Amino acid sequence: MTKEDKKVRIQEEDFSVEIEIKELLATSKLIGGVVTFLGTARDFSEGKNVETIEFEEYKGMALKALKKLQIEMLSRFDIIEARIIHRVTSVKPGEQIVLIVVGAEHRKEAFTACQWCIDTLKETVPIWKKELTPDGESWVTSHP
Amino acid sequence: MKINVLFFGMLADKAGNKKVSIEIDKPNATVADVISIVREKIKTLPEGNFLLAVNEEQAEPSTSISDKDEVAIMPPFSGG
Repeated sequence: MTKEDKKVRIQEEDFSVEIEIKELLATSKLIGGVVTFLGTARDFSEGKNVETIEFEEYKGMALKALKKLQIEMLSRFDIIEARIIHRVTSVKPGEQIVLIVVGAEHRKEAFTACQWCIDTLKETVPIWKKELTPDGESWVTSHP
Repeated sequence: MKINVLFFGMLADKAGNKKVSIEIDKPNATVADVISIVREKIKTLPEGNFLLAVNEEQAEPSTSISDKDEVAIMPPFSGG
């Protein structure tokens, strides 16, 4: 895996927030602030207890869309570096799902870029989640 | 020409399949033509404006298609 490939990934295995931040910081000493968004699995959704969340992706297109998102974020905002990692597997409540790490000279642009990234990811990246509850399973169709 | 059609998430469950192949013999065929053939073939496919892609790029009903293209019919994304 090249350095560029490591910055945007879709994977089954868990990731380390600390390692991702450390590797992002290693890319530039100009970075003065790092903002992260960590999405995790909830155990309660739409009035039901959630036991497991399963993810499905459109393999190929999902990674392409994620890479496009990272490139667009770097050109749209005054930030220095960004990483996006999304897990596509079966997760239990409390487990990590998605991580966005943004490094910028100043905090304001890093916060704005990170918020834009997670909002846009939910609209443009072909990944779906299915919640398994004691009453059965259902695909999640909204992205609040 | 032959087109591979992919379904994801809830749509794959409704279609009872993740992938179907269809034949289309119409000049200047579009994604909309693919959808109407698929609807004829799979009656369980729900109505709705779904997200579309051709060869892994987002597409519209008016997007042109060619032989061996891969057309994806997708429910709203829910990653993150």
